[in-house]
Amino acid sequence: MKLKISLLLLPLISLVSCSVSKEISRKSFYFDTYVDIRLFEGKVENLNDINQIFAKIDKLTDNFTERNIDNIYEINRTNENVVVEPELYDILNLSFSSNLASLNYFNPLCGSLSKKWKESHENKAVLSESVINEELTKMASSGLELLGDNTVRRTGESEIDLGAVAKGYALDKVKEYLDVKNIKKYLVDAGSSSILLGEKDGGKNFIVKVSNLPNSYLELKNCFVSTSSLSRQFVEMEGQKYSHIINPNNGSAINLHEAVIVISDVGYLGDILSTDFVNESLDSIKVLEQQFNVKTIVIDNSAITYKTEGLEVINK
Amino acid sequence: MKKTLRNDLILIGVLLALIIGGLLAVLLTRKKDNLVAKIYVQSQLVEEIDLKNEPDHDFVIQGAKGKLTISIKDHSIGVKEADCPHQDCVHMGYVSETNRPIICAYNQVYIIIEGNSNYDARIG
Repeated sequence: MKLKISLLLLPLISLVSCSVSKEISRKSFYFDTYVDIRLFEGKVENLNDINQIFAKIDKLTDNFTERNIDNIYEINRTNENVVVEPELYDILNLSFSSNLASLNYFNPLCGSLSKKWKESHENKAVLSESVINEELTKMASSGLELLGDNTVRRTGESEIDLGAVAKGYALDKVKEYLDVKNIKKYLVDAGSSSILLGEKDGGKNFIVKVSNLPNSYLELKNCFVSTSSLSRQFVEMEGQKYSHIINPNNGSAINLHEAVIVISDVGYLGDILSTDFVNESLDSIKVLEQQFNVKTIVIDNSAITYKTEGLEVINK
Repeated sequence: MKKTLRNDLILIGVLLALIIGGLLAVLLTRKKDNLVAKIYVQSQLVEEIDLKNEPDHDFVIQGAKGKLTISIKDHSIGVKEADCPHQDCVHMGYVSETNRPIICAYNQVYIIIEGNSNYDARIG
């Protein structure tokens, strides 16, 4: 009898182990790209809540449109005190933190210069040296005062650009939310450049394809993956690829590396570091990744020129 | 003896029914082999195209600010022309694999192919 019961239970157990979690997902347009929220457990209301997080951070960090809220667009239009939402104050506090002083190529005050480059890209022209120098001079005399009580004041003329931190920060907030809801199985992809990974059924890793490398994959879970890459957003002029990422030291839109991938425990930091690392030397990256406790892959000419020891890239 | 045999046959029948039923359930909940291109405009799904069975042709969609000419060619999808300043969507070329989106930020258009894939996400 026991044998028969065992025989009966065996296929049932197999079936349960074979079954896959039901996925619910949503695609929404934020941060000038699409955000793909995929939950392998949880409810539709969780998707709605996550969507709201993205909507709010997108609104607060948009430097191109008036959004009827005291967002970065409004801060960039005055040198008066502005009272902002706590999340925006937090993002500004993190972006201007002294902890980032060791980064050579991250400066949130490059907003005006980035806009000038964007305009020149649209006109298929390289930004002139005189305009670049003018903007660099403005940047050197600009800043942001964090006055407490969610009050900030921009000094100088340069605009603040939170493009290098907004998606990562939003993913941090999403992770906080998912942790509170005890949801562990998820994948939230913000435009293929910032991805938040939970875990798959049975605690398994997700497989992430690396666009800049042929047939190469990462097996990862419970982390953030950020990238800065020339593969999608660039303008080619006179045989030279010009990026949307600007070197804040010389104003150039030509990046040192083709792509950088950063794997981190903190979303906003991963985003900032991938932006910075795309212009850092390999020697600097080796030092900085230890300081910030992240793993890095540097890609040049469609091949890995550096990766953190122990980080496995699988070729299939 | 006969009773035992009959019970055994019933048990085997129940087991087979469970296995077949379970397999069917698993197979039906899995994604189909077909590659389906989904086109979103301003977060709304506006078009679904079965790339395996769709003949080559072009068609125009209205984006948030301008029009895009979408092209189906050799079971792949691409943006042939677009009313946008950067033309990033056109530069992305034709896509025939999953998880490799074509995005026109200016027009808030997102094209993604869904179907069976050997990876979960793409970085870069």
